[in-house]
Amino acid sequence: MKCLKIATLALGLICSSAASLSFAQDIKTKIQACAACHGVDGNSKIAGTPSLAGQPKTFLENQMVMIREGMRNIPIMSGQLDGFSDAEIIAIAKFYSSSPAISQAGPRNATLFEKGQMISKEALCGTCHLPNYVGRDQMPRIAAQREDYLFYSMKQFRSNQAIGRDTIMAASLYGMTDDDLKAIAHYLSQLK
Amino acid sequence: MKQRYISLASMTVLASSLMALQGCATAPAPKAEAPKAAPVAAAPAPAWKQGMGPDMASSKLAPLPGKMTVTPANEIPIDKLKLPPGFKIEVWATGMPGARAMARGDNGKIYIGTRAIGRVYELTDNGKERTNRVVVDKLVQPAGVAFKDGSLYVMSINKVLRYDGIEKNPTVAPVDLTARFNLPPEQHHNWKYIAFGPDGKLYVPFGAPCNICELPTPEYAQIRRYNPDGSGMEVLATGVRNTVGFDWHPTTKQLWFTNHARDWMGDDKPNDTLHRMQKTGLNYGFPHCHEGNMPDDVVKKANPCAGVEQPVSLMGPHTAVMGMKFYTGNMFPAEYKNAALVARKGSWNRNQKTGFDVVMVKASADGKNAKVTPFITGFMNPADQSFWGRPAYLMQMPDGSMLVSDEQLGAIYRVTYNKRQLAAK
Repeated sequence: MKCLKIATLALGLICSSAASLSFAQDIKTKIQACAACHGVDGNSKIAGTPSLAGQPKTFLENQMVMIREGMRNIPIMSGQLDGFSDAEIIAIAKFYSSSPAISQAGPRNATLFEKGQMISKEALCGTCHLPNYVGRDQMPRIAAQREDYLFYSMKQFRSNQAIGRDTIMAASLYGMTDDDLKAIAHYLSQLK
Repeated sequence: MKQRYISLASMTVLASSLMALQGCATAPAPKAEAPKAAPVAAAPAPAWKQGMGPDMASSKLAPLPGKMTVTPANEIPIDKLKLPPGFKIEVWATGMPGARAMARGDNGKIYIGTRAIGRVYELTDNGKERTNRVVVDKLVQPAGVAFKDGSLYVMSINKVLRYDGIEKNPTVAPVDLTARFNLPPEQHHNWKYIAFGPDGKLYVPFGAPCNICELPTPEYAQIRRYNPDGSGMEVLATGVRNTVGFDWHPTTKQLWFTNHARDWMGDDKPNDTLHRMQKTGLNYGFPHCHEGNMPDDVVKKANPCAGVEQPVSLMGPHTAVMGMKFYTGNMFPAEYKNAALVARKGSWNRNQKTGFDVVMVKASADGKNAKVTPFITGFMNPADQSFWGRPAYLMQMPDGSMLVSDEQLGAIYRVTYNKRQLAAK
């Protein structure tokens, strides 16, 4: 794992300084485009748009590759990553994974929070997403994600519409009601 | 800003497959018909988590992350790999994220399947360096590739494509054979390894759509063979949980295959296995019996191991046995002749990692007295539990060298043997 991380860091260094400068400039421009919806630091202020800040680097890389390849079809993202090289995707992923996640949640509803906490624990979400839900490797951070996006995304998984996303996750939410998912979304969005 | 995902053609398949999965953990008996109208039942665990006991609720074991971006050759720590004296391993080809099984065309082009990234690569060797291109993309886990009589066969979870004369005509449109193969709807464990046998037939596995379950329909946990055009289907073996690698014994011509055992039964059981098909119609135990003699602790029945075929060899718990090849070349020392080399991609469902290597299995032609010894190690560091590569498939080249694909880094390594290399050590 360590060498993978070093490998991605090394990319910029290997290039000549001029090329590396323009690469860095290019990445900056690309990240500015992402910022329009996902927020300058990757903490989204826009309903329905996920926060990218603090996500595991591998998760971000994988999702961007899947979107670029057309394996994960999100109409609003369609074409946005066309022609992006792997090196560019890795650099963008590195930027967002090192930007701290900041919860965008509103006031806490204690009842809903406790219900969500209980369901998340019973459903063993922490096995993969880790007990503090910060995610790891290919599995996303769900702590401090936008409440509306969490609810939306879980509904997608539950109804088998998360096309091109992880089939491992697909069946994890079967049988849960909208109210269950709302509680989980509320709870997770409040976390740091 | 409301987002919606457009439903793809594959969605119907995915939807029905996932609905059918509902029956997985709880269905009392297999149903005879395809589960197109399966009712939506209460929440089952996701396929990989089924059978996870309450004692494992705090476990953080989870499938390991794949890498979907290109890894350049100079970032591959190939010198960490250890082989027996006289052998050498080199980075032979890179730049193919997710590279798995390899099939060699008549003119020497190599076709390589993948899973999540949805691509099939074509690798061209000009004698000095290797270049690759994407033959097809956007497929649902096109892991199965095979080559016969000038045609490339590609099998994804829900599609079978044949590319006639592709080595000479790189833009040839595929012939869609999907309807002939009658592929079942479940996705889990239904990515394929495929190969043509000495009988000219195409051998295709159908994995169990769960970690451990009664089969939702009988069409899973099987090995079948077809005529190349998809006709003449025969079920050859049942009770095979998930084989993604096989080869035919050089002298007996019998099929030998690797098999992934279930998860969440503990760190040390059951073992993945190597089997041989001494005749057709045999039962290899799933879901009731593992290793030929270990009753399952969830899916139970009386005499669970009665009549179950015994493995040639245990291959280690959770090691993820993948591709296997009998060595038939003249480059390696005599002791390798007709021995099986088996890639073990490496465990996730075990607190101490195991596998992440290629082993040699020496056994008599009738599968007796199997002995497993290390062949390539060093992909994983037991001291800190880190890994950098995951060997997945093997392919013997005409000169007797052996190619090894690394699914983690999207690379192919080449193993050679030379007595001078032995002297140099």
